[in-house]
Formats: sequence, C-alpha cells, structure tokens
Amino acid sequence: MNKRIFISRSGGDGKRGWQNYTLDCSPELTVLDALFAIQQRQDPTIAFRCSCRVGMCGTCGLQINGVPALACKTRLTDIVDKDVFLAPLPHFTVIRDLVVSLAVFFEQWRKVLPALRSRDPESKELAKIPAESTYARNTPGKRDCITCGLCFAACGILAMSKRYLGPAAINKAFLRVLDPRDTAHEERLKILNSSHDGVWRCHTQMNCVAVCPKGIDLTESIGLFKRRLLLKNGELES
Amino acid sequence: MSRNALAWYMQRITGALLVPLLIAHFWVEHFMNATLMRGDLSYEVILTRIANPWWQAIDISFLLIALYHGLNGLYSIVLDFGKIGPRGANITATILVIIGVAWAFWGVMAFHNL
Amino acid sequence: MISPRILVRTYLSPLIGTTAWFLQRVTGLLLLFYLLLHVETVHQLSAGPAAFDRAMAAFKNPLFRLLEIGLLGVVILHALNGIRIMVIDFGVATRHQKRLFWGLAVIAGTLIFIAGAVPLFLHSVMGR
Repeated sequence: MNKRIFISRSGGDGKRGWQNYTLDCSPELTVLDALFAIQQRQDPTIAFRCSCRVGMCGTCGLQINGVPALACKTRLTDIVDKDVFLAPLPHFTVIRDLVVSLAVFFEQWRKVLPALRSRDPESKELAKIPAESTYARNTPGKRDCITCGLCFAACGILAMSKRYLGPAAINKAFLRVLDPRDTAHEERLKILNSSHDGVWRCHTQMNCVAVCPKGIDLTESIGLFKRRLLLKNGELES
Repeated sequence: MSRNALAWYMQRITGALLVPLLIAHFWVEHFMNATLMRGDLSYEVILTRIANPWWQAIDISFLLIALYHGLNGLYSIVLDFGKIGPRGANITATILVIIGVAWAFWGVMAFHNL
Repeated sequence: MISPRILVRTYLSPLIGTTAWFLQRVTGLLLLFYLLLHVETVHQLSAGPAAFDRAMAAFKNPLFRLLEIGLLGVVILHALNGIRIMVIDFGVATRHQKRLFWGLAVIAGTLIFIAGAVPLFLHSVMGR
C-alpha cells in the first residue's frame, strides 16, 4: 500500500514544519518500521528514538495523528486516517524532529521518592508479601510501568501546568505507599496531598488510561489516593 | 483530613445537592403556583411565597451552596493554570472567600428588600 | 491538507477526556456569570410591582428566550458531566468513562434539553 507520512521536522531552533514522504509498504508494518524504511531509503536525516522494538522499553513514544502512542506497537493498519502525521510527544522539550527529552517526566518521578526505603536495609530475610495483603491484592497490573511518558504527554492538566506530578509518578507512589516494606509513607503523602502538584490536580480526564501501552488504570490509582486522603489520612492499608 | 481533600469532597457534595435544589427551584418558580406558560407569574405570587420563612431558608441555602460550588470551582481553575505558586494560591483563596461572603450578603439583601 | 480532526488532536487535545474537562469549566464559568445576573435581577424586583412587570415584559423578548434555552443546555451539560465525574471519582465504572460521557452527558443531556427547550420555545413562538 502507498502511505503518505508527514513527519514533524525541527532542528532544535524552535522552528517546526511538516515534511511528507510517500512509502510503498505492506500494511502490517509498524510506524517504527516505516520510520526505519524512510530513514534508510529516502531521508537519512530524520531523528527518532527506539530500542527494543517490541513495546517493552518505552523509548519510541511519539504522537501519531494527535494521539500519544508507541511507534513499535502501532501498525499502519491501526491508523484509520488516510495520512499519517508523526509529531514529537507534547509537554516535553523537543531535541530534534521526533526526539524529546524526558527530563521533566523524571523530575516529577523523583519527587515521589520512587525508590523503596526499606524498613531494614541490612536484613537478610526474604520479604514475604502474603497474597491476601492489600499490596498483593491492589497492585497486579500497576507494576508494569515502562516510564514511556505517554500518560504525561496525554494529560490535559500537564498541558497547562508543569507542576502536576503526572499519572506515572503518582502510580509509582501508590505502589510504594502500599508496600509493607516501605517506610517513607509520610513524605510521599505530603507531596501527593499538595494542592499544586499532587493528586488534587487530577480531574479524571482519563486520557492517561486511554494511552497507556501497558493498560495500567492510572486514574484508579490516583482515585484511590484521593478517597484515602479524604477518609483515612492517606493510609492505604485496610 | 487535609484541606484539599475536604474541598474536593465538598465540591462533589454541593454539586450533588445542587441537582435536586435546581430542579425544585425551577419547578417552584415556573410551575407550582402559577405557570409561566399562562403568564400568571405575578409579583404578588412571588411576594406571597417569599414571605414564608421556610422558602427564604431554602432559597438562601441554595444560593450559599451554589456560591461555594462555583467559587471553589473557580479556585480549581486558577490552580490548574499552574502559573501561581502556593502563596498566590492562598491569596486567591482569600480573595474568593471575600467575594463569596460579599455575594452571599448581596443575595440575602434581595430578600430583605422584597 | 491536514484534516481538522488531526489538527485539533495534535494542537489542542488528544482525547475526549480533555474536552469534557474543558466543557465543565466553561459551563461552570458561564453559570457563575448567570448567578450574578440572576441575583441582580431579583434585586431589581424589590423596587416594586411596576419594576417587576417591566422586567417580565423585557424577558419575553425572543433573544432572552433563546438565551434561556441556551442556559438550560449549559446547566444540563454541567450537571450530567458532573454526575459522570462523581461516578468515576467514587470508583464505579472507571472503565466506562468514555461511554459515560457520550451516554450520560451527551445523549441523556440532549433528551432532557429537548424536553425542556421545546416547551420554552413553543411558549415564546406561540406567545402564550
């Protein structure tokens, strides 16, 4: 099939423009395959990121016809529009063409103390987490975050304010606060409860859930925090 | 319970309360004693209703609940823009409270004069 | 060139959630403004029956009727979308949020709007 692909080009000097390419290819090709084909046969100067090519690393995030998605997981047949428009992820600084810097994402990520602060770091005992515990019951499906930044790019609140932590950071905090081995609950709850940056800036637009390539229900994690901060001062253990 | 959690919760409670209040208000004003359709809604009809302290209480509650919901919503909009820091947020909250009290006072005065 | 849908998605908002949020805020602000006008009108009425009758006559103006119908639409959208938000916030049916928007706020909203707007419109047209 013949597909017209428009790629947003920029040189980091602030100027951006669409450049179009026509690709004759089979429909099962992914957007990432198409980018490689264009780079190899038509224009070696286009810049884009990728790594694993199978949806595990989260590196190839970009905006496909206005929707943040992973290039390696989106087949050309999945795109209903006649033409394909590829743009860099919004809410991030564009380095060049489709390559963005995820710095702001990880800035917010670090604010929630994402590392486990273990109760006993010197312990030689294996941590046992019973299947009936709150952690075991509430976290399947929440641990798969690959920090691709798609949720950050899709969030309408982040479009207006860079102070909001973002769904991925809050979800990470959710995992840590529930974890019985962790001791940094108070610090995390403080930033999560902040009026500017924390969970209260989420207005359940649920774009994050719509774009997450791992199918994590991010709004559910954020919502659980809101309800618990309301009723039990943030204590998530039932 | 944190202030933010309370405000979030109250926004939903006031929102839920406003739905029946609004429906009741609309029905009372337009259909109860005299229908707007018949062109019967007259000054006397309203005056009679307003003289009753129960109706006054309901109407004033309606106003206060709507004011809380609206001004709290306005506060949320300001915060969503993200351009003001925590101090700016406190100033905004104070201004909105003052506006709310003034507005409520002004609204209650309308009853006094009727 | 670029289809309007893609333009909107790329530069304004990728998905329906942002539109719902945005509409909620716009309708909220409009309603706050309406509240201002409403309290002002009630104040005017305290000037006596003559003032009341004059105001009522002014409101029969077709422009006012149109605005009233618009107000009805704004109220319905804000209220039903608000209910949808509450349903999501309290943890029910988060998977169905998009369906909730289209079903609740748009379809149910349109039905209620028509139920309310038609009598209002007929009243202004028939003049009764």
